[in-house]
Amino acid sequence: MSAEYAIEMRDITKTFGSVVANRNVQLNVKQGEILALLGENGSGKTTLMNMLSGIYKPDSGEVYVDGQRVAINAPEDAKRLGIGMVHQHFKLVDVFSAADNIWLGTEKTGFLLPKSRYEKIEEINGRFGFEIDPRKKAGNMAVSEKQTLEIIKVLYYGAKVIILDEPTAVLTVQETQKLFQVLRQMKAEGHAVIIITHKLNEVLEISDRVTILRKGEYVETVDTCDTSAQELTEYMVGRKVDLNIQRPQVEKTRPLLEIRNLTIRGDEGAVAIDKVNFYIRGGEILGVAGIAGCGQRELCEAIAGLRAVESGRMIHKGDNIVGLSPMAIIEKGISMSFIPEDRLGMGLAPSLSVTDNMLLKSYRESPGPTIDRKRGRAEAQQVIEDLGIVTPSTETPVRRLSGGNVQKVLLGREIKAGPNVIITAYPVRGLDINSSYAIYDILNQQKKDGVGILFVGEDLDVMMALCDKIMVLCHGQLMGVVHAHKVTKEQLGLMMTGSLDLVEIDGKAAGIARDTLIVQETFSGEEVEE
Amino acid sequence: MNQNHGPLFRVVKRENTRWYHLAVSYASAIAAALLIGALLLSVQGVPAGAFFRDMFSLGVIGSKFAYKNVEGFIRLFIPLLITSVALSLAFRMRFWNVGGEGQFIIGALCAGFVAFRLDALLTSLAGESWGDAVWGKLLMVVCMALAGFFGGGLYGVIAAVLKVKYGTNETLLTLMLNYIALYLILFFGETKASWNFFLSTESERPIFATFPAVAKMITLPTPFGRFSLNLSLIVAVLICAGIFVYLKYTKQGYEIAVVGDSPSTAMYAGMKVGRIVIRTVFLSAALIGLAGAFYASSAGTLSTSITNDVGWTGVTVAWLSKLNTAAIFVSSLFLTVLQYGSQVASTSYPTVDANFAKLLQGVILFAVLAADFFTRFKLVGRTKAKRQEVLG
Repeated sequence: MSAEYAIEMRDITKTFGSVVANRNVQLNVKQGEILALLGENGSGKTTLMNMLSGIYKPDSGEVYVDGQRVAINAPEDAKRLGIGMVHQHFKLVDVFSAADNIWLGTEKTGFLLPKSRYEKIEEINGRFGFEIDPRKKAGNMAVSEKQTLEIIKVLYYGAKVIILDEPTAVLTVQETQKLFQVLRQMKAEGHAVIIITHKLNEVLEISDRVTILRKGEYVETVDTCDTSAQELTEYMVGRKVDLNIQRPQVEKTRPLLEIRNLTIRGDEGAVAIDKVNFYIRGGEILGVAGIAGCGQRELCEAIAGLRAVESGRMIHKGDNIVGLSPMAIIEKGISMSFIPEDRLGMGLAPSLSVTDNMLLKSYRESPGPTIDRKRGRAEAQQVIEDLGIVTPSTETPVRRLSGGNVQKVLLGREIKAGPNVIITAYPVRGLDINSSYAIYDILNQQKKDGVGILFVGEDLDVMMALCDKIMVLCHGQLMGVVHAHKVTKEQLGLMMTGSLDLVEIDGKAAGIARDTLIVQETFSGEEVEE
Repeated sequence: MNQNHGPLFRVVKRENTRWYHLAVSYASAIAAALLIGALLLSVQGVPAGAFFRDMFSLGVIGSKFAYKNVEGFIRLFIPLLITSVALSLAFRMRFWNVGGEGQFIIGALCAGFVAFRLDALLTSLAGESWGDAVWGKLLMVVCMALAGFFGGGLYGVIAAVLKVKYGTNETLLTLMLNYIALYLILFFGETKASWNFFLSTESERPIFATFPAVAKMITLPTPFGRFSLNLSLIVAVLICAGIFVYLKYTKQGYEIAVVGDSPSTAMYAGMKVGRIVIRTVFLSAALIGLAGAFYASSAGTLSTSITNDVGWTGVTVAWLSKLNTAAIFVSSLFLTVLQYGSQVASTSYPTVDANFAKLLQGVILFAVLAADFFTRFKLVGRTKAKRQEVLG
């Protein structure tokens, strides 16, 4: 065996029950190289890496570290071999300080905690340009800080091979750039880096080579400099895909939903949405951009009547909807669908059948005390046909369906009710490319039918292509509402972190500036049509 | 080198559990448990075959008073059936009502209150003979049932209201309410005082009085000789069927399913979750209270051990049946056979006492619960796993 590669995985196969997560997968990475592991959700990327870090064991296949065949039976083995993984869901103890979180995993634990543990972290901080306070509790850290802590952790344990699972999913544009700098620094120091992702632009920017998986199978490994986004997509999906998102131009109606000076408190009692103004017209998609936890969830819940409004107005077609019950808001034709991180938390009852989920908002309409499953079944059948949902039957529990189909069931039901305003948060969360585009088409069709859509999204590229306008939130405050085709990604990134406040720049006097923004926008050519 | 020394076998989740998996698992569990039981019996010098025959036939074979055994069996079966079905209602909503004991006691106490006071009231109004009329017995039993129903229901609602309003833990509260109810019935059972109409006036020591004859549960004559059918069995079976329909076909049943599956989704769909929780818990506790009333009326007296642990056994039955109403019927029947049958069988053998019956019950129940594991998972040996790999 030559020691050409820091890590070499040969013919790795792993099954869970009858599901093959990986079949004969090949992967190798050199020292001082960044390898991107690319694939759609469920293509087996994380499973493969979990076998490197000792969480799973392969059913068959061989793993070589520096040319030596090894058996990684436990995370300790991986650590000893110099393999460290930063998981997508951080593995930190919230009530421990940064230093203690790291100390927790070291093998040379004495009876007492030495003071020197703080200094060692400062040392790594200096070498890679991190800014982490070793005494800060993990629970008080922002997401990007937690990620940095995880990276420090693997470096501290002396990892020479560093695996990052979807590291940019939780970061802003600027934070991503910072992370990439760190990765380049690691590469320069001779570390081997494997980065799991499904974002093509990041692959092209950071990696030296790309290994592509599709449905658990190894597809190809290519040099990044010789490939393109189009080619990578074809490898990933298995056929040609049109990567352009349509943005049909539709005649807009008068504002359907106007939000004025809205203030909402979050679960902890802190202000989650702070004096926010915006409006949605029929026939337009308004994007909402912001870092996770900037108040999107609270905003959606407030519009759906699920969260109390502290102050401000929400005017739907001229009527105030503040204080109405969720039922009354549904009856007004306002549909809200929120796909939380676990994808099933709100909007669907996972153990119930597709039919039963169809009836969720309309079961009261049928007369008598019994539930009208016949109608539900007919509606389910209709939605399954209209949206091409793959399901064994209308009676299958929703949680047995794949992510894309689950989200189609949710959107299908909402559209079936014929809403005039659709609030949709993360409708493509975790979906593969095909399903995502199917969802965009559904939303565009609704837009053409004159529905006003509020689209809370994660991927800025998608929002810039799909939305007509984008409003940016930062810590619950409005940073501005911009035209999606005029704004740049960098501007959005700066607005999301609060460094660029277009409300102030475009606005007139402070205080009423936000209102002025709306008035000014309304004047700029759109209200003339009415 | 062969580095992949995996464990000898792995636990693998079954993709679909078929009926014969269930049948084989449960049958072999019971067989294994009986084998252990037979071993223990023969150590004590008891013929295991005869013991088991008596047990599973409820001692009917060769008994002159077979009808008494069947009646006794039914008296035990009714409370367990109703309680288990009622608990499954709350459990489906993920409301962990472990207060069956307390709700049962309160139901029985309320029924007892009606039995003594209504009788006294009507006697003072209409004279001693009022209870002889057919309507009298019916009125009394219905009033007792209603008292048990509402008493148990309101007692259960305490925990539900506190949970909905203040987010308290229903498991702790229902558990504590059990003790309050238990000590309440102990208080009535042990306090000799002129106001305490629950106690017998003839005895010096505090003993619960027997109910007036009019408060005894209605029994219906049957073609089977002296055997008469306890009316509450019919009611219990109807409740069972009613709950099945309620859960499966009504809007309220649908709401329970949604709230149990995801409260946030229920709220999102415009359901008033708090109201649904309180309504369902009331129904659950009320049915348990009703079971308490039925049992008190059938027994014709109160007792400090009136529940026969039905609030706990009901939890086991509900889970063993995976909250499925039809399965609850079968499981509670099976458990009652165990309880009653082993008691009866142990009376024929002086070396075997009632505690052995409980031990045997425990072994069988444990084996069945273990079998439940094998209906959901299977063990795959190392060699077999390898073979599967090759087959791909």
